[in-house]
Amino acid sequence: MREMIRLSIFRYDPEKGGKPVMQAYEVPLLNNGMKLLDALNYIKWNLDGTLTYRRSCGEGICGSDGLNINGVNGLACITPIAGLKQPIHVRPLPSMHVIRDLVVDMDHFFDQYRQIQPWLQTITPVPEHERLQSTEDRARLDGSYECILCGCCTTSCPSWWWNGDRFLGPAALLHANRWIVDSRDEATGARLDQVEDAFRLYRCHQIMNCMEACPKELNPTAAINHIKRKLLARKS
Amino acid sequence: MQHQLKREERPLSPRLGIYRWHATMIASLAHRASGLALVLFVPIYLWLLRGMTGSTEQFDATLLWLHSGWGKLFLWLMGVALVYHFINGIRFLCIDSGWFESRAGLRNTAVAVIATAVVAALLLPVLL
Repeated sequence: MREMIRLSIFRYDPEKGGKPVMQAYEVPLLNNGMKLLDALNYIKWNLDGTLTYRRSCGEGICGSDGLNINGVNGLACITPIAGLKQPIHVRPLPSMHVIRDLVVDMDHFFDQYRQIQPWLQTITPVPEHERLQSTEDRARLDGSYECILCGCCTTSCPSWWWNGDRFLGPAALLHANRWIVDSRDEATGARLDQVEDAFRLYRCHQIMNCMEACPKELNPTAAINHIKRKLLARKS
Repeated sequence: MQHQLKREERPLSPRLGIYRWHATMIASLAHRASGLALVLFVPIYLWLLRGMTGSTEQFDATLLWLHSGWGKLFLWLMGVALVYHFINGIRFLCIDSGWFESRAGLRNTAVAVIATAVVAALLLPVLL
């Protein structure tokens, strides 16, 4: 007899309405390296086809399956079953509007990402060849460019839960910092102007859930602090 | 036709009630709570001072209250809040300046200030 894994999964059906409920499932342990996504797939393909969740690459690079797993945000596809206390509580990313089961509305999250204008901005004429960057300047982007925009950090942040309409949240601010430190970008001043606001940037209260939640082990707290220091340096 | 709910009709997924408390989250929220307690302590402190300086009887009554169980508990709570807010304030200043900013640094300093506050909470009754 195979070892069984117990799961408790957040269910919400907009057609039926009513309140969301937690539903229990039991899934056999398929192999030693089994990930949480494998268990969700097993449920969907063998037990209950109505279970709805997002997933794509299955290897932690597309950022589709950000979920709240036993109280902490993470990606189902790279979270090993072995380290999880059972029953494994699987819920959608916190403080998000639920469309169905584990699928949430990410529109506002991506709108905030768009607000920081995440592209290279220049005013100098386009050079004959590419805009070059030294090895050292390129290294300063390490820890920022790896972000896959899964939303685990932003939706783990209590400041964002309570002021998400105005506070940009860790993911957008990590990306804001990514462009602020980019030696090729020439809109640093405008970027700093945009985030210099009691809510957009300064709602960060160093709770640091973002750093704990990030499945890519990045450090949005440090990125936010770097922007704050940049603003301070500009003033003095 | 498929039924589509409007954004505001969709339920909000659970947040504070289900999120696991990490040391850094405890450290941050305890900083707000202790700061609030210390601010509220100021008028009470002034009221106690007034009580002690009004007359001999008032001085005795206030002294008696401060040495009673409730008085000691109050002073203990304020003492712990002061110690915690002070050391975590220094931690926040360090982090603002760019020290201990690595993931391990943020985590370990949070554990360190909480542990120091616990030690202070255990030592304080000896002094009171």
